[in-house]
Amino acid sequence: MFSKGLMQRQALRTLHQTGSRSLTIPFLSTLPQNPGGVKGDVNDAVKPPAPSRIHGSLHWDFQRVTSVALLPLVGSSLASGGDISVVADSILATMLLGHVYVGFQSCIIDYIPARVYGKNHNYAMYLLTLGSLFAGVGIYKLETEEEGLTGLVKKLWTVNRSTEAKQ
Amino acid sequence: MSGLLRSNVTRAALRRGLATEVGQQAPRLKTFKIYRWSPDKPAEKPRLQEFQVDLNKCGPMVLDALLKIKDEQDGTLTLRRSCREGICGSCAMNIGGRNTLACLCKIDPDTSKESKIYPLPHMYVIKDLVPDLTQFYKQYKSVQPYLQRTSVPADGKENLQSIADRKKLDGLYECILCACCSTSCPSYWWNQEQYLGPAVLMQAYRWLIDSRDQASKMRKEMLQNSMSLYRCHTIMNCTRTCPKGLNPGLAIQEIKRSMALE
Repeated sequence: MFSKGLMQRQALRTLHQTGSRSLTIPFLSTLPQNPGGVKGDVNDAVKPPAPSRIHGSLHWDFQRVTSVALLPLVGSSLASGGDISVVADSILATMLLGHVYVGFQSCIIDYIPARVYGKNHNYAMYLLTLGSLFAGVGIYKLETEEEGLTGLVKKLWTVNRSTEAKQ
Repeated sequence: MSGLLRSNVTRAALRRGLATEVGQQAPRLKTFKIYRWSPDKPAEKPRLQEFQVDLNKCGPMVLDALLKIKDEQDGTLTLRRSCREGICGSCAMNIGGRNTLACLCKIDPDTSKESKIYPLPHMYVIKDLVPDLTQFYKQYKSVQPYLQRTSVPADGKENLQSIADRKKLDGLYECILCACCSTSCPSYWWNQEQYLGPAVLMQAYRWLIDSRDQASKMRKEMLQNSMSLYRCHTIMNCTRTCPKGLNPGLAIQEIKRSMALE
């Protein structure tokens, strides 16, 4: 009974907050939010989402593994001046893609959360996955038909030189 | 005659008895700009109100100045305070761009600079410097901050702990839950409905490493999702701002490390 009284008082309470307009992405539809961000009775504990290792510790592990693995991969390809084997180059490109993929997943969870944006959160994730699949195909083409990722980066320097030579 | 003499004597005695008169000190007027918003007039936009306080007649801390303003200039100024010595965590606010306790924050003696005081950032404001901490306390409740055991000690008396195990709790149990760290965390600003925030996670860690507690598995299970714990991106604002000098960032990293191989 006591808590019910508290809850009723809370419903009447006015709070000041920044307009949601300045905190949300303008072109995405949003869900209505609880007053004061509080769900349920003031005496209830916050309910955590359902436990999931894939979204929890494994996701974090994958972030760490890819970022640590990139250090020697990028370092060695820089040290050798880009002359690395196709296998090493493929591993580098795949690790980079994985790293960027989980990184952007984190960004989407941060800035387009399902709590606020509902289905838009899923759409953003689908878009990211689709883009990453395209990037995967691109990496395959780079490795098999062209000079790989390091070759592509090297071209940034040689392209200018070749255009200068033409002139 | 004798009356005149007596009054002269008393006057002289009084003059001698009083402390040496000090020359009139020039007032050192310091300007404070304080965030004001009242729920009685919800349509009015929040504003910064200017107050001037003579530092010669005021205590050294920002809380002293705030209370002086409340006593002498504007009784409607609203803030939380209790212990005035940094142990209750009531007077947490944003002073000069930094979350801290008003009672532990010295007034900058440079009177040419004004001091700006806001409520804790990105919180719902109830009035003036009073933020709504309901969600913060609900989150604290969710980590079940109490000893949980499945077995009772053999002698049926106390749950004993070695000195080394007790040492692990140092730097964690001192937290006064003032919410300075949580409200300084950008990740908590974006997702405070779901991300637990540094203060609450540090208390979760405090119960995880307590050698007497036997509910670690359940405690870790509660953090095993994308929102509760893993919204921490080691920004470390929490550790920089903590008025008690604790390190919530390290505590969160320790939880992540202990959960990495699960």
